[in-house]
Amino acid sequence: MATKQANRQAITLKGSSALVTEFFKYAANTILFQREVYPSDDFHMVKKYGQTVLVTQDLALENYLERILSQVHKWLLTGSVTQLVLAIISKDTRTPLERWVFDVKLVEPPADASTTRESKPEAEIQSEIRAILKQIVSMVTYLPVIQEPTVFNILAYTNESADVPAGEWVDTDPLAIEASKSQQVKMRSFSTDVHRIEAMVAYRYEE
Amino acid sequence: MNDDENAAKKRRTLRSTASTSTSSLATGTTTRPVTTAVKRDSLAAELERDPQFSAARRRQRTQLFTNTVSHASLERQLLQAQTSRVDIETKLREKEVQIERLERDRRHFADKEKEEREAREREQEERAAEKKRTDAELKSLRAQFDNLQEEFADLQSVHSQRMLSSTQEVSQLRALNTSFTSQVDRLSADLDSSQAIASSRLDIINSLQDQFDELQAAKDTWMQRTNEESDMGVVREELKKQAEYHRKLEGTNAKLTSEVTILRDRQTSVEVLREQNRSLELKLQYTESLRDKVAQLEAELEASRTEREQWASNQAQSSSSLPSTPSRNAAPTISQTQTLTQLRLQHASLLEEHGSTLASLRTLESTNASLSDHLSSSATQIKQLQETIRELGSTARKADTRVHLAEREVEFLQALVKSYESEEVQKEETTRDERDVGRIKELESLLSEYKSTLDSITTAPPSPSKPSRETLDQLAQLRSELEECQKENTQHIETIDKLEQELFELSGEIAGGRHVPPGKRILQLADNPEQQWFDLRQATMDKLREENSALLKRLHDLESSLPSANTTTATTDESSPNGDGGLVPRASYDLLQSSLATLEQTLAQKEKRLLRLQQVFTSKSAEFRDAITSILGVKLAFYPNGQVRLTSIFDLDASFVFQSTGSSGNGGSGVGGNNVKMQLVAQGEGGPQDLPSMMQYWIENEQCLPGFMASVTLECYEKAKMSGAGDPNTSV
Repeated sequence: MATKQANRQAITLKGSSALVTEFFKYAANTILFQREVYPSDDFHMVKKYGQTVLVTQDLALENYLERILSQVHKWLLTGSVTQLVLAIISKDTRTPLERWVFDVKLVEPPADASTTRESKPEAEIQSEIRAILKQIVSMVTYLPVIQEPTVFNILAYTNESADVPAGEWVDTDPLAIEASKSQQVKMRSFSTDVHRIEAMVAYRYEE
Repeated sequence: MNDDENAAKKRRTLRSTASTSTSSLATGTTTRPVTTAVKRDSLAAELERDPQFSAARRRQRTQLFTNTVSHASLERQLLQAQTSRVDIETKLREKEVQIERLERDRRHFADKEKEEREAREREQEERAAEKKRTDAELKSLRAQFDNLQEEFADLQSVHSQRMLSSTQEVSQLRALNTSFTSQVDRLSADLDSSQAIASSRLDIINSLQDQFDELQAAKDTWMQRTNEESDMGVVREELKKQAEYHRKLEGTNAKLTSEVTILRDRQTSVEVLREQNRSLELKLQYTESLRDKVAQLEAELEASRTEREQWASNQAQSSSSLPSTPSRNAAPTISQTQTLTQLRLQHASLLEEHGSTLASLRTLESTNASLSDHLSSSATQIKQLQETIRELGSTARKADTRVHLAEREVEFLQALVKSYESEEVQKEETTRDERDVGRIKELESLLSEYKSTLDSITTAPPSPSKPSRETLDQLAQLRSELEECQKENTQHIETIDKLEQELFELSGEIAGGRHVPPGKRILQLADNPEQQWFDLRQATMDKLREENSALLKRLHDLESSLPSANTTTATTDESSPNGDGGLVPRASYDLLQSSLATLEQTLAQKEKRLLRLQQVFTSKSAEFRDAITSILGVKLAFYPNGQVRLTSIFDLDASFVFQSTGSSGNGGSGVGGNNVKMQLVAQGEGGPQDLPSMMQYWIENEQCLPGFMASVTLECYEKAKMSGAGDPNTSV
């Protein structure tokens, strides 16, 4: 019984990590398209989660995202990544304008083994992901309009003990937004049986 | 565009330099070219002047010719040199212009750089200050956050403890509740069973009732009698009751009458007492009169005493007149003493009598008072008794009337019974009736029994709830406890909400990147777009700076060499092209080179794309032409001047050249236009024999080129078919 459960758990973790990684890919693409970090022509439409999602065709960007996501997948499997941040930075002044934060939380297993939880159906997870992506799209309506050219960066908050490929990944500053000019909005969240992703956006806002 | 401009400029400058060079040649700065020019002129003149030819002169001429040839070559060389010089000069001028521009740029850049440096310094200072501030803030925030976390943890632990206790309590309560519910269930089950029994019994009763009804329906005729009998029974009972009541009433009546007799006796005794009283009163009156008499007698006694004293004094006076007075005392008359003693005795007896009468009076008075009390009490009692008697009498009267009525009814019913009985006797069904009656009675008794049991059952349910009163109390208590627990729970939930709000704010801090959770690393991919962009910017900046510094250096050099340049401008002009890196700094050259490389790259890409498009176009057009050829039987050839040649594949000699006319006169661009008309401009040697007539008909009359071409194709096909069946074209 125990071994069976353990097996199931392991499979679920792997599947969940893959699901979360995929979500990050589409979320990042959506943000980059909606916030016009890259020209709209670079994106093409793809059917995903039962809706149309815009995905970049820029090879360099694709490659960059791919590299990040593969590492994030590894970290997810070991549970050493706690937060992913997509920061949008002004090209001219190098000030961070927006921080799209995705908190990664491990769902605590039930305290007593006797009460086995029913696993969440994938359709439900997908609908939750769809809701988040739609919320990202709708965020454009009340986030301040970005007039200047921008560039982005993806930060990963990991545990001290996390395995980090030397040279490829480096420590960096958090690209913080000043406290007096920062506002934040909590967005929807979604959860698999193993992970819970809570989205939030903090943005720079000057009256 | 730029190249064209440059070429034009070059040409202009060439022209001007050529003129200057020729002028400078004319002035004779260099000797050799002048001499050759003079020689050539004189020789030419001589040659022109003397057209006659001699051998000597021929030699001379050949010499001259060789001279001129060499001279021409030299001149060519010179011209080349000059042109190259001009080129170089123009280049120099361009470079100067460029230098000037660059200097301007440099100045501009220097200003900018200075501004930037200042700004950067300021920024750095600000940044340092800010950093200090933010560090402090961060520290405080971290401390705060730690505190808050601790607090939160404490609260969570408290909360969890409380939750645990509350859950335990709730579970206990639930257990209790379940036990109660089970009890209730049991009881309800009992109730259900009893109700089921009741219902079954009711069913039985109903069935019995039905039977009863049936029997009633069956024995409709004699049922009335039985009914009456039952009525009779009722009446009998009623009568019995009435009789009992009557008897009771009679008893009470007798009791009351005995009471009344007792009371009457009492009354008589009261009367006797009253009479006694009256007699005593009379006696009292008599004693009163006696008292008056006594008073009178006393008064008489007093008067007699006073008289006696008077008399005595008179005696004394008379005795004084006599020798001895004592003799006077002893000397009263016997009659007098006698009367006195008599009187005295009388007085004593009277006094005695008075005392006895007074005592009797007192006793009589007391008895009188007690009797009057007794009388009043007995009077009230009498009144009450009379009232009760009146009431009893009325009730007795009522009962009597009722009894009378009942008796009358009984008589009537008995008469009825008798009549029925007589009828029964007539019908001779007594035995059956008795059986039925017995059965009916039995059924009635059963019915009454069931009714009683039903009553007992219907009254039973409240009884089992009575013992659960205790448990109900307990339940109520537990409920109150549960409510308390729930209240506590809501409080906890509120605190949790507050903490969550705090957590949200703190998470906002984290989301804003102002707080990094302890024990976390922030990582980024080394090769990220941001880094790339800023690296690129830095690189261009560095390059520009380098170029700027090089230009500055160059400017400095130029400025330092300016005084000497003022004196000998020509030397600088000549010397400048010699220095390879002197005129333009290496950095700007590199920059230009890199931009050139990128431009070339883009150009190559564009060219590649264009080539691909061309390839696509040619392949498509070939396809199109093949299609036309195979479908319409004509080969198309487009000329660059817009003409189109059509050749029939069945007769290669039959070819026609068309040219478009209309709005776009020339060029193939108008071929595809709708409003463009084609015109036959030339034709080949071959073609069908009746070509002129076809042309006449189709082109001149009908003005229909497709029709013409179709008929030509048809003709040619037939001709080809006729000439040789093995023509390969026919197989197309």
